[in-house]
Amino acid sequence: MPFTLLRAHRGTAAVLAVLAFSAALLLAALPRAFERAYDGALGRVLAGGGADLTDLTVELRAHPLDPPLTDPGQFAAFDARVRKALPPALRTVVVPGGTGHHGAWTYGTPVTGRVGERMWTGQFFDLAWLTGADRRVRYVEGAAPGPAGHVTLGGRDVVRYDVGVIREAASMMGLRVGTTLLLGPKGALAARVTGFYELTDPKDPFWDHNRGVTHVDVRHVGTSDQFWVTALTGPDALRFLKPDLDLRYTWVLGVDRTALTAGTAGDAAAAVDRYDRLLAGWSSGHSSYTLHTSLPLMLGGFLKQLATAGTLVLVVLGGLVLVAVGVVALAARLLTDRMAPALSLMRARGGGLARVAATGAAVAALAAVPAALLGYAAAFLVPGPLTPAAVLGPPVPALAAVAYPAVRLALTLRRPLRERRADVAARPSPRRVVAEVTVVVLALAGAYLLRTRGLADPSSGRADPFLMAVPAALTVAAALVTLRLYPYPLRLALRLAGRRRVVAFLGLARASGGGTAAPLPVLVLLPALAVAVFGSVVSGAIGETQQAAAWRQVGASARIEAETDIPPAAAARVRALPGVEEVLPVAEGVTHIGPGYRAVRVVAVDLAAYRRMTGGTPLTVPAPPDGTSGSAVPALVSPSLAGLGTFEIGWPVRRTVVARGTVGGLPGLAPAADEIVVVPYSVATRTGTAPFATMLLVRGDASRAALTAAVDTPQTLVVTVADAFGSITGGPMTGVVLAAFAVVTAALAAYALVAVVLALVAGAADRARALAYLRTLGLSRRQARGLTVVEIAPLIVLASLAGLLLGLALPAAVAPGVDLSPYAGQPVEGFPITVGTPALLAGGLAAAAVLGALAYATAGRAVTGVLRLGESA
Amino acid sequence: MSSGEAPVTELEELEERARRAGPAFGEGAHILCDNLVRIYKTGGVEVVALQGLDLLIDRGELVAIVGPSGSGKSTLLNVLSGLDLPTAGVARVAGMDLLAMSAKDRLRYRRSIVGFTWQQTARNLLPYLTARENVLLPVRLAGRREHRGHADELLELLGVGACAGRTPMEMSGGQQQRVAIAVALANRPEVVLADEPTGELDSETSEEVFGALRAANRELGVTVIVVTHDPLVATQVDRTVGIRDGRTSSETLRRTSTEGEVIAEEYAVLDRVGRLQLPRDFTSALNMERRVRLELERDHIGVWPAGQGDGDE
Repeated sequence: MPFTLLRAHRGTAAVLAVLAFSAALLLAALPRAFERAYDGALGRVLAGGGADLTDLTVELRAHPLDPPLTDPGQFAAFDARVRKALPPALRTVVVPGGTGHHGAWTYGTPVTGRVGERMWTGQFFDLAWLTGADRRVRYVEGAAPGPAGHVTLGGRDVVRYDVGVIREAASMMGLRVGTTLLLGPKGALAARVTGFYELTDPKDPFWDHNRGVTHVDVRHVGTSDQFWVTALTGPDALRFLKPDLDLRYTWVLGVDRTALTAGTAGDAAAAVDRYDRLLAGWSSGHSSYTLHTSLPLMLGGFLKQLATAGTLVLVVLGGLVLVAVGVVALAARLLTDRMAPALSLMRARGGGLARVAATGAAVAALAAVPAALLGYAAAFLVPGPLTPAAVLGPPVPALAAVAYPAVRLALTLRRPLRERRADVAARPSPRRVVAEVTVVVLALAGAYLLRTRGLADPSSGRADPFLMAVPAALTVAAALVTLRLYPYPLRLALRLAGRRRVVAFLGLARASGGGTAAPLPVLVLLPALAVAVFGSVVSGAIGETQQAAAWRQVGASARIEAETDIPPAAAARVRALPGVEEVLPVAEGVTHIGPGYRAVRVVAVDLAAYRRMTGGTPLTVPAPPDGTSGSAVPALVSPSLAGLGTFEIGWPVRRTVVARGTVGGLPGLAPAADEIVVVPYSVATRTGTAPFATMLLVRGDASRAALTAAVDTPQTLVVTVADAFGSITGGPMTGVVLAAFAVVTAALAAYALVAVVLALVAGAADRARALAYLRTLGLSRRQARGLTVVEIAPLIVLASLAGLLLGLALPAAVAPGVDLSPYAGQPVEGFPITVGTPALLAGGLAAAAVLGALAYATAGRAVTGVLRLGESA
Repeated sequence: MSSGEAPVTELEELEERARRAGPAFGEGAHILCDNLVRIYKTGGVEVVALQGLDLLIDRGELVAIVGPSGSGKSTLLNVLSGLDLPTAGVARVAGMDLLAMSAKDRLRYRRSIVGFTWQQTARNLLPYLTARENVLLPVRLAGRREHRGHADELLELLGVGACAGRTPMEMSGGQQQRVAIAVALANRPEVVLADEPTGELDSETSEEVFGALRAANRELGVTVIVVTHDPLVATQVDRTVGIRDGRTSSETLRRTSTEGEVIAEEYAVLDRVGRLQLPRDFTSALNMERRVRLELERDHIGVWPAGQGDGDE
């Protein structure tokens, strides 16, 4: 029987199958794609740092009282020990080989002389023995270092090491093969250069740990330069390396970045912390082991972003589940309605309730389950790891497709004959009212709890399921309230429409009569709109926050900062650049004040001019303090300094300042954590000279390159809002979140349209009967079309309105789980809500739905067909 | 009730009468409705569709039930077919009490005791099954073994044997309705109920359909109740029961006279407590309202309008 019914209603069954397929595909594929995007984002975060940041480096500083490690075997043994002690969560992540290695190296070893040559000053020559280094270098001159030996210098027996050095050191430090350097404060050891090498692969992350080996580091100290290089030596040298050279032993555990996924990041971060504590407990005589890695920090930052992204995606996916279930149920309902005559006949002719309901459910299952399985299978074409959501999601719409007919049939066919008597009007049952009130109360209570109690563990990087339940419950509650209340505005509109405009009157009357007020379309449209609006609000908020953050980072359209004074000529050149509207000089420095001799930052700036300059930007600049008090300079100070009243500053000139107000901070001009004193720019004079500037704030659009060229002063930093914004938005996670919203919004819009058309089809017989009757009374075809639209439009418009309001309210409900700070690169308070785009979105979706209704109504159907439909249905 | 005899108290007399009472009301009848009431109630609004209906039908009878629309005919049929549950009273078919049945019993009742056809031709058959499959559907639903031959026999009996392999779309209205009767007969029921079986058909086709019902009645011995508006049908049955306002109001009995003429005699129905419905045209012709005066004559009871009778005094 199910097969016969399926064949008979294959059209409707196909619609159900397509919807079940698409729902299963979306619900299985999206979580995978998102998880993959999370992994990708983590990969980019980790790739942003060198191997020395992500690898685990165990370090031991050699202590003079402890026996030194003299044999490579000792290193290897300890390497095995630290690897064995790794927590389980790190075992899959830490891989043998790769960047992993160990070794010993000295730090800051000065060159104190040369044998038989003129001494070069300002040279530092560290020694390193590293496993795996010899495989990664190629000697281009001379040969690899040989075993250590001894030289006799001035009657002293001195240890001589053979070393190899990077090739550029030859010219930069005046070395050649055979040069013997005396090292150490007392010149206690000698290093003979036996060869110069090149790196076989300069990009090998191995070198991230040993940058000194790869190049000569030139450091400017005062007016002179220092040259630092690390030379490679052989294992033989271990016997003679002494702790007084600031000797360190390191064991690098290479981390396979690709083995870290968003799913395991939290565990890995925690495991590193555990490992760190474990190593701290190990000691080797007088010194202890330390673990160097930035992995927990990087993972922590990522997890914070992930938590927010996870929350947003969860809310969005929750909406999608709700909408998909609604649409599938709508199609299942259509199928059930089509099968109803046959099934009720079967029931009347002696079919048991269970059997008849099972037959109906089986038809739906035959249509939906294979389609859902196919959709689930198709999702495997989307690359990405399998997540619980990807497994739990797809069965939900399939279940809805089977459960809806089963329950509906079980209820309607409980009595073998269910004859509606037109003379007996139905009234809402008190039980239903109580159930609806309960749902609304539960949803509100859930939202209240979420706001007061917050989330279970916001740092875990995974969203709380409660967070997903609350928006879904709120959506259902809003849909129930909408369904209950929507006849009232319609009745009002009906009264306003009057009885002159017949189409409007009839359409509104039919709409408010509840004939077409199927709850399912509302249950689909409302969450679709709510989630779309929510997405748009959050996207807008992220964009806005990032824009604001970029401005706060820079402090103006562009900021030029120099270590020394910026010459007035340079400022003039900047001012003359095309696009530059205004340039404001700022002097900034550090002074020590008060009894505690605490360091505070003094910012000398013309606040009035700065305020004018930042007008129309997200920045707010405090008003300048008013009034003067004799020779004291009026100043704005950090709240922590407000108690000082009048005090003296030593920079830029010794002046007495009087606190006239407090200032929370000057974004871009001073680090947020610093205590600041803001004084008028006129103070910024070196004694007896013209005002000077260490910083230029620029208004207008000039590129960083143009500004850098114009300033033409060494050691200047130029930052622009555009650059800052670019680096913020370039964050890998932002793209994931925005893409999630875009994909889901598109899917939701499509579902909303399908829901409207399905609702129209479901009510077609009833509407056709009414229209056929009205047509015989003289309703024109055009008016009939208009009637259809007027009938369906109020539902769409009201559901859209409710969806818009809910979408705007949702961010407030889920605010505890949505912290936009990780996206802005700085703490963000509150949740900026803009109404413009979401309203446009809601309006657009509603208009599209109404147009869909219009298209459906316009699709040609002959009057006779309608009349026949009216008779037979 | 002569008081001069031995001191017999009224109570004793009543007891005596109770002992003497003959068979109970309708005992032995195949279908019995006694004071049957059906009230539709939704959200506090009540509609009384049957208000104390009495009906007795013997096994193997072919009875037509007539009445204006809204009189409760269809409700009665739905109650008798086990699809609807009466509110009060007694309804017994083939010895089964329709009020006391559980849902499971009612299902069994529908599967084995009754068969029925609805008025709307399209509602009786599944459009995508052939006539034979439609006939076998109730058999399958009842969980019995299907006999193809049985279905074909039934279709043959009803004169639609040629349609066995056709779907309803390929049959005329009359053929569809006869197949529907075959469906009703599929489980060899004791009673067949037909709601306006000829309502949507022309007179010639109606004749065929009614012929099929009569064939079922004669050949299979099935008790048949036909609800109809069709005067043609009404004149072809032995007994026609009229229903008005949820009560049986009249009965017409037909017999064939010795000359071969059909003689129809219409009776009003007197219920067990002595209530009688006077035909509306009688009462309105004499302006009878609210009260009438009765007088017991030797062989009949006279009924006079209240005013007139009072004037005579």
